[in-house]
Amino acid sequence: MAFDYSSELQRCIHCGLCLQACPTYMLLGHEGDSPRGRLRLLRAAAEGLVDANGQAGSFHRHLDLCLQCRACEIECPSGVQYGALLETARRTLQPPEQPGIIHRLVKWFGLRVTLPHPGRLRLLARLLWIYEAIGLQYLIRRQRVLPTRLAAMEELLPPLHWKSGWRQRHWPAAGRPRGRVAFFTGCVQDAFLPEVNRATVQLLQRLGFDVDIPADQTCCGAAHIHSGELETALVLARRNIDAFSRPEYLAVISNAGGCGAMLKDEYARLLEHDPVYRDKARAFSEKIKDIHEFAVEQGGYEPQRRVESTVTYAESCHLRNVMRVTDQPRQLLTDTPGVRFVPLRETYCCGSAGTYNLLHPEIADDLLSLKVKSIAETGADIVAVSNTGCHLQLLRGVRNAGLKCRVVHTTEILNAACAGESGAVRSKEERR
Amino acid sequence: MSATSEKLRLTGLHLREDQITTDPIDLLAFDRDAGIDRGTPGAVAFPESTEDVIAIVNWARENRVLLVPRGAGTGLTGGAVAEQGGVILQFSRLNRLLDVDLEARLVVFQPGLVNGVLDQMLKEQDWYYPPDPGSGRSATMGGTIAENAGGPHCLKYGVTGNYVAGMKVVLSNGSAVQFGGPAVDYPELDFVGLMTGSEGTLAIVTEAWARIVRRPPGVDTLMVAFDSVEACGQAVSAVIAAGIIPACLEMMDQKIVRIVENHAHAGLPVDAQAVLIVEVDGYVSSVSSQMEEIASVLKQSGAFDFRRARTEEERARIWNARKSAGGAITRLAPAYYPADATVPRSKLAATLAAINRICDEADLRVGYALHAGDGNLHPHILIENPNDPELRRRVQAAGAKVMEWCVAAGGSITGEHGVGIEKREFLPLMYNPAELQAMRDVKEVFDPANILNPGKILPPIAAPLPPTQTQPDLFTGSRFTPGSAQEAVEAFRAWNRSTRPVRVRIEGGKTKSFIRNDAQILLSTERLKGVIECAPHDLYVTVAAGTSIQELRHELDDTGMHVPIASPWPGATVGGIVSSNFNAPFRCLYGGLRDLVLTVTAVLPDGRLIRLARPFAKDVAGYDLKKLFIGAFGSLGLVTEVTLRLLPLPRLRDTLIFSAPDLETGLRWAKAIRTIHRVCSGLLLVNDLPDALSRSPWSLVCTLESLPQEVEFEASVITARISAEPTRTPQISATDLWCKYLEKRDADKSVFRIGVPFREMDGMLQQIADARDIRWLADLGNGLIYVTMSADSPSRIRLVDAAQRKGGYGVMVAAPAGQFTREETCGYQPQSTALAQALKSRWDPRGILVG
Repeated sequence: MAFDYSSELQRCIHCGLCLQACPTYMLLGHEGDSPRGRLRLLRAAAEGLVDANGQAGSFHRHLDLCLQCRACEIECPSGVQYGALLETARRTLQPPEQPGIIHRLVKWFGLRVTLPHPGRLRLLARLLWIYEAIGLQYLIRRQRVLPTRLAAMEELLPPLHWKSGWRQRHWPAAGRPRGRVAFFTGCVQDAFLPEVNRATVQLLQRLGFDVDIPADQTCCGAAHIHSGELETALVLARRNIDAFSRPEYLAVISNAGGCGAMLKDEYARLLEHDPVYRDKARAFSEKIKDIHEFAVEQGGYEPQRRVESTVTYAESCHLRNVMRVTDQPRQLLTDTPGVRFVPLRETYCCGSAGTYNLLHPEIADDLLSLKVKSIAETGADIVAVSNTGCHLQLLRGVRNAGLKCRVVHTTEILNAACAGESGAVRSKEERR
Repeated sequence: MSATSEKLRLTGLHLREDQITTDPIDLLAFDRDAGIDRGTPGAVAFPESTEDVIAIVNWARENRVLLVPRGAGTGLTGGAVAEQGGVILQFSRLNRLLDVDLEARLVVFQPGLVNGVLDQMLKEQDWYYPPDPGSGRSATMGGTIAENAGGPHCLKYGVTGNYVAGMKVVLSNGSAVQFGGPAVDYPELDFVGLMTGSEGTLAIVTEAWARIVRRPPGVDTLMVAFDSVEACGQAVSAVIAAGIIPACLEMMDQKIVRIVENHAHAGLPVDAQAVLIVEVDGYVSSVSSQMEEIASVLKQSGAFDFRRARTEEERARIWNARKSAGGAITRLAPAYYPADATVPRSKLAATLAAINRICDEADLRVGYALHAGDGNLHPHILIENPNDPELRRRVQAAGAKVMEWCVAAGGSITGEHGVGIEKREFLPLMYNPAELQAMRDVKEVFDPANILNPGKILPPIAAPLPPTQTQPDLFTGSRFTPGSAQEAVEAFRAWNRSTRPVRVRIEGGKTKSFIRNDAQILLSTERLKGVIECAPHDLYVTVAAGTSIQELRHELDDTGMHVPIASPWPGATVGGIVSSNFNAPFRCLYGGLRDLVLTVTAVLPDGRLIRLARPFAKDVAGYDLKKLFIGAFGSLGLVTEVTLRLLPLPRLRDTLIFSAPDLETGLRWAKAIRTIHRVCSGLLLVNDLPDALSRSPWSLVCTLESLPQEVEFEASVITARISAEPTRTPQISATDLWCKYLEKRDADKSVFRIGVPFREMDGMLQQIADARDIRWLADLGNGLIYVTMSADSPSRIRLVDAAQRKGGYGVMVAAPAGQFTREETCGYQPQSTALAQALKSRWDPRGILVG
């Protein structure tokens, strides 16, 4: 169904069932920081009650504070496409005043200079590895020399490896091949958390699939579209569609909820008016499968080893709210021998939300501490995650809270359970 | 921060910067609730403590600023819309659950706590807060109290008003007072009941107590189809008549079913004219037999296409379909008008036909989703183009006709959405000028400056009261026994005109044997007798106030129904029991009089005759004034008629008697039972049972009544928990024992009732057990202790003082025959005393009634 901004906006009946799902409403208790309130403001702008491009007071602050977790969409009885409405509004209603320096820095360096370029990201990861390896990070963290905002960014840095990138692009199935899939690596994850992707690919092999990692793929563009950078997002979308265009792929596998949601849910809408890419985009979106969804659908997850751990699962908002994958990761973890699965009480976003934790650190930190508190309550020694942003955010949260608890991608646990070597999942910390 | 908010600050409102906003963008977000009314506030304040609320109220009163309390803004009638501007008090930050006391079966919370969050937290411990409005996922407890919210499960479990036990409020004069509290049946006017459903117009709730119950472990859900809406309506009545009250009975008509199915894909029978969802709950061993019985009734009533939810997922799909009815409609039209009215259940089918006719005539599309078991219907009238003023007018006109029809059928203009802005012009359909004026009196007593949510509920212009036509003679005898309400009206009018002051005392069944020489005239209800209407299908019975309990029971003999009220004294009248709020041990299962009384007709001391509420549980039209007469001891007016809720007679009643070695053990067992029971109709701790019933001085008597499987299962759970073998007897119930105990007292002794918060029960009972000159019985199902002693016993002052110090009270409920007494309340001074006096002098300016 084609997306029509103004008629979609009309469909909100203002019932308020979304309020409790919204993390900013939960924290601030302000109608303007709730999904319903934001839609009210958008409607006011559409009716000309607010000059959104002029001096609009707190209009843009309320819009900007949205994490775009889209938990509200799950609750909405009218099925309002809130995410699409907010994105469109952010793109078309520009704030009159210049954004702050951090905002511009993130936008320029992050969205333009690095994310779209896997090579540059890998280089950056290596530079930062040096920074970690020579002890500079230790010194800087101990001396607290960085300004708060920068320190918060620095803290998001996971322990890195020198080795990254793929030594081969085709990985054969273990045993008789059941088909061929393509794997979407993501940008930051591939450079900064390469072991996650390796585990996912190995799991796919063990499930019996030949795995291709197309070299031309790039960043999915989610961070761009959420920040109103439509043009860059379109370029990235077209490039990815081309990179995965081979018809023999049974599926295109994503292991990060944020990227998967973008590929599956937004490409078709973004390219709706592009005559060349419209149909390709639709076909591409239909092939996108989350790894957990795919593993459960195809079957064949046969763990060989016990993973003696208490595990909780910190859900990716976009995996749940957009891709609507909820039970599968839990089911796979529960099916893993030795795992004592404890559900996480806290279901709000962890505050990562793409670049949100860099731009709105106060709210992001409040959300993170709620999440970490909830993790502590479970007594888990492993937190399973299913998205890059959450992974980095929770690594930082768990470390700062001093929890004896490892943060790993779900597939790292599953893959370890299938592996021959040892029952426990080995994290980078242990290896170092 | 804008100039206006600077001004606010300068004029003395001390709140943090992030606690108040006047930013026009912020204010836009607060300009509506979930209904159709609009109004932009001048500011929004976010109180975080009672002190904040007090500061805002004082500031607002001094500066003539209006205040509009708001929870989550999910109301449907404009209750939280700042129609006349002013400051919105947004309660989302005052949202903590303060205490969960499972032995007391109470929760304490702040008003911003979300209804669904509370129930979810309780669910994890197998407890239950039943009121579940459709907006419950977001609606706040403060909001549900303000609206007296209902929901599908109210059929079996009652509405918000049946659960709220006490509250701390800030009055418009800035003082913080407490109504009710953690004990039950405080000897004070039921301002808790009055506040519930008052839509934030009387006072601002800052903290509240609510009762909770055990969650039924078993649930069974069934969906059936019908050939006609009428057949479905009749089936609903047949199910009720069969004597099983399902947890809910929800109905959708074909139009709604088709709309919902189109998107929910729940496999709804789209070819049926009506679909009924039935849910029963209870212990696992009982739900399937309950459902089978209901299913056979449904089959006889013409139901077909039986679909029983076999898994949690199937159940969720059925409920999802029902609950998305409203949202699903927006896929057809961008807006709709959700009407909300209640009619007696037996009028459902006729009402639906009438609404169809009204909408057809106005060329409007309508679909129904309704709480059929309660007679509460929600016709959703589609608005294809919300910007078309002509269409909106047509919708509103049709809505008005629907209201008129429902009121004419004996119904209410609103079952659960409240009056707010949207319905206020319809209130005169239900209430005459005298009744509206009585409501306005209450508003003026509570909020003389009219700063609390002004303009809501009451229609804007007061219609003038009709002039009195007759000039009745002044009754001057010493005992007046009116034969009708009208005779009482005339007498009161004459007394009001009398040049000499007249003092009148109302007496009911004279069961308390008090003699009070403070009145010249005794006004007796002894000629107001008889059952006026008995409607077992609609689950109510209306009786004249002077009707005795025996007469009422006799009338109900063949109906299979009962009214759970009891009195130890023969000749006790319904009016007397209501006026003294005298509740028997089975209160813990069936609720107190405040839960059982559906309507009250009363003559106010200034000669106004008012009929309050309608004979069903779901009625939130106007202030709930009937609650004020329950426990008012005749001080506010003469109750002439009462409608009581009927309940199916329990199929099985059994009493377990545990012999406890000592008081502590008995009390410990009682606490254990309180954390388990679902069908317990009385829990007594007594120390002098006849030998035939008990082997030790301390006995714990626990009566269970319900369906046989429910009783059997609960008996086994309780016995296992206590690990002692009880004596079982179906012959006597806890309520019977209580009656016997109170009836059999020495001629020179008085009976006192002591109520304390359950947490204080240990200490209180210990103190009572230590006293030598008294007999006692503890009604632990409700947290009350009945003590028999001489009125001048030294223990009396000590015990009553102790109870008051513990947050409870002591009152005298019976005195030796013929003895003069002046102090029934033993000096108990509720915090609401000033308000009660103000209301009394408003209705009784000449001080005619003593009470």
